[in-house]
Amino acid sequence: MGELIRFNNVKKTYNIGEKSFNALDGVDFGINKGEFVVILGPSGAGKSTLLNLLGGMDKATSGEIVIGGETISNYNDSELTDYRAENIGFIFQFYNILPTLTVLENVELINDIVKNPKSAKQILKEVGLEKHYNKFPNQLSGGEQQRVSIARAIAKNPLLLLCDEPTGALDSKTGVEVLKLLKKQCDSNNGENTVIIVTHNSLIAEVADRVIKLKNGKVESNQINENPKKIEEVNW
Amino acid sequence: MLKRKMFRDIRFNLSQFITIFLMVFMGVMVYAGIRSYMDGMTKTADIFYEDNNLQDLEAIGENFTDEDLKQIKDIEHIKNAERKLTVMGTMENEEERTLQVNFIESNEISKFYVKDGKAFDKSKKGVWLDEYYAKNNNLKVGDTIKIKYEKETLEEEIIGLINVPDHVYDIKDESEIFPNHIDYGFCYLSINEFPENIIKQEIMKKMNVTDETIFNTAMPDFRAQDYLIYNYVMIDVDNEENKNNVKNQIEEKIENAIAVTDIKDSISYSSYQGEVEEGETYVGVFTGLFLFIAMLSVITTMTRVVKKQRTQIGTLKALGFKKGKITNHYVGYGLWISLLASLLGLIIGPLFIGNLFMGMEMEYFQIPNGKAVISTSSFIVAIMVVLVVSIVTYITCRKELKENPAETLRAEMPKVKQNSLNITTKGIFKKMSFSSKWNARDILRNKMRTAMGIAGITGCCMLLVCAFGMLDTMNNFIETQFEKLFNFDYKLTLKSGYSDEVFEELTKKYGDSTSQSLGIEIKEGDEKQSNNIFVDDSKESVRFLNHDGEYIKLSDNGIYVTEKLAETKGYKIGDKISWHIYGEEKYYESEIVGFDRNPQNQNIKMTKKYLENLGIEYKPDSIYTNEDLSKIKEIDGVELIQDKNALEEGMLSMINTMQTMVVLLIIVAAILGGVIIYNLGILSFTEKQYQFATLKVLGFKNKKIKKIYIKQNNWITIISIVLGLPLGFFMVDFIFKMALSDTYDFSAKIKIASYAYAIVGTYIVSFVFSKILAKKVRKIDMVTSLKGNE
Repeated sequence: MGELIRFNNVKKTYNIGEKSFNALDGVDFGINKGEFVVILGPSGAGKSTLLNLLGGMDKATSGEIVIGGETISNYNDSELTDYRAENIGFIFQFYNILPTLTVLENVELINDIVKNPKSAKQILKEVGLEKHYNKFPNQLSGGEQQRVSIARAIAKNPLLLLCDEPTGALDSKTGVEVLKLLKKQCDSNNGENTVIIVTHNSLIAEVADRVIKLKNGKVESNQINENPKKIEEVNW
Repeated sequence: MLKRKMFRDIRFNLSQFITIFLMVFMGVMVYAGIRSYMDGMTKTADIFYEDNNLQDLEAIGENFTDEDLKQIKDIEHIKNAERKLTVMGTMENEEERTLQVNFIESNEISKFYVKDGKAFDKSKKGVWLDEYYAKNNNLKVGDTIKIKYEKETLEEEIIGLINVPDHVYDIKDESEIFPNHIDYGFCYLSINEFPENIIKQEIMKKMNVTDETIFNTAMPDFRAQDYLIYNYVMIDVDNEENKNNVKNQIEEKIENAIAVTDIKDSISYSSYQGEVEEGETYVGVFTGLFLFIAMLSVITTMTRVVKKQRTQIGTLKALGFKKGKITNHYVGYGLWISLLASLLGLIIGPLFIGNLFMGMEMEYFQIPNGKAVISTSSFIVAIMVVLVVSIVTYITCRKELKENPAETLRAEMPKVKQNSLNITTKGIFKKMSFSSKWNARDILRNKMRTAMGIAGITGCCMLLVCAFGMLDTMNNFIETQFEKLFNFDYKLTLKSGYSDEVFEELTKKYGDSTSQSLGIEIKEGDEKQSNNIFVDDSKESVRFLNHDGEYIKLSDNGIYVTEKLAETKGYKIGDKISWHIYGEEKYYESEIVGFDRNPQNQNIKMTKKYLENLGIEYKPDSIYTNEDLSKIKEIDGVELIQDKNALEEGMLSMINTMQTMVVLLIIVAAILGGVIIYNLGILSFTEKQYQFATLKVLGFKNKKIKKIYIKQNNWITIISIVLGLPLGFFMVDFIFKMALSDTYDFSAKIKIASYAYAIVGTYIVSFVFSKILAKKVRKIDMVTSLKGNE
């Protein structure tokens, strides 16, 4: 399959007072369509910054980011918003679902931004929440909330699913369930969907097609995993 | 250390603290200022009346003799009595300047307040002149004025400039509302100065003598002072409750007394009292509402400041500061600032606003030493304001402290109570758009905040309705009075005692639309109420309106009373009232056959024919005409020529003052409404920020998020307008009903256009401040907002 993502010498500099700090310090890598990617690194390595750039939530200080043939590093705010709306699904460590909307409403929210979203009820069924349509988020367990978040992300059938420590706040059993769902999303749609997971949990890397290691704002390694393990096989 | 933190916090949140300071300051200043003006009015007058011994009763007659005076003084409960000879004069060569000229024997009752010059002395020549009149006409002590009375001219030196307690409010006649002190004033002279010649001529007329030499031989011992015609007696009663008794006794014993009136019914006293009562209503309604809205904005701002300090509160707590210490620290914010602002308001309010209004009032009302008086209620209000601010700060702070430090260290997350939101998953809510649902639930979760918002914007809308409504109501009053009721261009008031020839000549020239006013007393059990009857033969030059504003024609079979009078007295159609003309003994009984409505005058009306049927001679005192009299200054036999348009313009000029107030109201309403909307918006923004960031990440456009954000304000604004319009109407109605004395009858009349202005105005305020708030949405940084939640 062809290349979906290309980072060319991407830098992201934060100015804190008079000092400046390079969160990303000249990052180059590529990711192919349909891959299940894990980005690994200790805290402060620049993982979240990388994800934010990928998701169009933040702009690079310099360098080029090409996604699906489009150079998004040249986009303005409004173009980035459209880019996010059409192509990106997000999953956060703390779920970020709206507390005043019910489970179903949180997923249906997508109807307001995407033209042909998947049926919210159908997706909630797929993630096993068909019994909780009318509940509010605070009535759900952490794993259930994360599944709402996943349902919301995949409802728009995104080209790219970005996950920031998706299992970070969950116990291991629930974490496995969540990973399975993410893998399933990656494999659906004839294996065209790309999923990127940012984590410091190296165990997850064992199931990935590709593992990118970050350290001090630079790519330490970018390896293809020839024989990814099945999720059940990993010893959590 | 915390003290240092407080000062720095204040510096970093300067704009919020300035808002709090200004709002408290303005609220207290306006309240204390206007309160001090009202109390100043009452107090100043009380002192003046007391110190200068205002009479309690006044007897009106045609000729009070020495014997009468002695008899009056002998009546039980009467402390003192003085006679007064009052006539109307004009300034020589300046006929448009009228002076009420009083000749007195002594000055123990209604004593002069001598502003400049000498005290009263019967033996002194010269005139004590109305101080305000003197000021407005550039007259000083030592100047000489010439007063024309009948055919005599009194040339007198001004020996004193005075204020007198029964001349607090002096107008030439009822057509004037505000005294101008330029073409009308009063003066006092010793009775010795009364021109002897006038008395002589009067007696010669009575004796049918035309030659003075014959008179001199016929009355060689003629002494003018024996024939002086005193027409007033001022009476000082020992006790308020004995007034009625004394009044009846005088009426019984003194034949020369045509009527005895209570000084409280006099135009001077009651107009001033009316002004005070009118003011009291304004004070209550406006300063109350103003203070309320100002407090709302202070409370919302204070809450905002404390909430902003949430993480710091958490830090302080985590560091081990005791709850009490942290609370004290934050309560200090509200306490010191509101205390300082209140104190300043208490000082500045009376000093500037109070004395400004007092000064304006004292241009019209003649009372010496008028100044604002700070009352206890202002102190109480100031203390309450400080308390409320401190308590609100305390409660907000305590709320934050209740959570454990770990919680507080995080940005505030909305807490969702399942039960309260359950309702919103059913019924009509199901069909709502996402943004409506979101907002509906946000409102349900923040009922207090929403209630404050609605209260504030409703107040804003009310003030706007009130501002426009007051103008409308006044305009409507003027239109009713001058366009509907007065159907003439000029009113001629005839001199009393005119001859038939003169009258015939006048009617020939100016038409026969005439009327007569009769001063009467109505018997009500043992009491007697004075009033007047308007006898109509104006041939529709003066018109009458019924309750619904339609013209009515008076029938000849009874009397009409004005609605307001009927309401206060409980008259019904078919009731009979018993009345007599002042100075006559005979009582008449008349049936009420209808009600009419008059905005300015509550009295009784009848036709000429009905009057004549009662056996009373019709003797018109006014002629109404549409002839152009703009160039004519004087007509023989006519005392006063009144131009309807000039009267109307006089009234309209009063509206100009009101317009200034309206502009002020609008500005105040806009500022207050804006501050409240802004504060509430900011208050909810921190917790919404994270949700908006999420929406942004999902791909919602800024515009869409702004719309969601503003939607709630729009709802609040719409609800507030729906509430504010009728409440505004009631407020105007209340003001006009309560503020005006019994003689006035006008209810709120607000044009549709005014409601439209109020709606547009309220909406603009809400829209502008929402727009400013919405700008914050663009600034939300997704990365940090979402991080802050971790």
